[in-house]
Amino acid sequence: MSHKSTREKLLAVVDDYEIVSKELIENALAPKHQKISSAEHTALVELLVSKDEELKKLLALAAEQETVEETINELRVNVDIQDSEIQKLQRQLKEAEQILATAIFQARQKLASIAKANQRPVNSEELIKYAHRISAADAVCAPLNWMPGDIRRPYPTDIEMRMGLLGKSELNLNGSTGISALNNMTTPGGSSILAGLQQHGNNLGEVHRTASTGGLSSSEYNDIPNSTHNQFSWNQMGDLHMSMGSSSVSLDNRHKDTSQDDVEVMSTDSSSSSSSDSQ
Amino acid sequence: METTAEIKQEVQPPQVVQQNILKIADLDIEILPTIYEIIRCVEKDPAENRNSSAECSQKILELKKRFDLARSQIKQLTGIDFNKEEQLQKREQLKSQLKLKQELIAKYKNKQF
Repeated sequence: MSHKSTREKLLAVVDDYEIVSKELIENALAPKHQKISSAEHTALVELLVSKDEELKKLLALAAEQETVEETINELRVNVDIQDSEIQKLQRQLKEAEQILATAIFQARQKLASIAKANQRPVNSEELIKYAHRISAADAVCAPLNWMPGDIRRPYPTDIEMRMGLLGKSELNLNGSTGISALNNMTTPGGSSILAGLQQHGNNLGEVHRTASTGGLSSSEYNDIPNSTHNQFSWNQMGDLHMSMGSSSVSLDNRHKDTSQDDVEVMSTDSSSSSSSDSQ
Repeated sequence: METTAEIKQEVQPPQVVQQNILKIADLDIEILPTIYEIIRCVEKDPAENRNSSAECSQKILELKKRFDLARSQIKQLTGIDFNKEEQLQKREQLKSQLKLKQELIAKYKNKQF
């Protein structure tokens, strides 16, 4: 009974009320010999009154519960508001987490780049010089301010070719094994080729300068290693020779004449423009 | 604060929907006087009032209507789906829930990152 809701109690009391009132009215309408005794009648009337009192008490309780229900409704509205606030906060936190995760990922990438850069630092001036040299030498046409006598060429020079992959492949053709062979092979001066190449790279400007002023003789160029020992070698006339044992085969350059003409047009200096490998 | 106002607007419509709710003050359950009138009517001397039988029948019908009305009104009452103890318990739960959520929001809103 204690677990019954107030509504159920009220309905039960109304049902009881109806039954008792029905009994009372039936007794009033019944003939005299069928009527109940006065004691029973009094008890019935008292029961009716008690049911009425019970109904009134339950209605008073319902009124109290109504007030409590209003408080509960207010609380529910507030809880809903807080729920929405929490959901909003949660959404914002999720967005922040996503942004931070992206930022951390990018920062880690940058840190890795910084660490990589710190391992092998490059002088910025040297880098800019190299960039200038590449842009000057590997262009598809001569610079606008190019004049006869200018040492700049729109193609790689012999030294640059030797420094490139083709030059290294020549070494491999000779049976040497990569970098170790490069390190082992020494120039007449005693320094290794790799060191020599690096030096060439660093002092390329100087080489150009000395070449243009005629300071670098052809015998000095012959000192550059492998040129005389390779299967393929360039002579001073610009012909490619492939040495096979004791004999050598000359590979005619198809565009020899035209290239020479181009070179003649681009430079008037006979010592430097006779062939492409003289640079 | 804008968000709070928006949420209130969202929450209000369900309250408007529940229009069948009846308040205790609007309740009209007076049965005892009707029973008294019926008994008085029955106990009247038939010689005095010839129409007493018809009147009694009408009052009995009225009593039946009153009981039916009382039942339908009780069904429309709000806040009596639980007994008082359960209802108070529920209110306390909601209070603690609200307090907890408010503390949670305050904790994250006032947190210095």
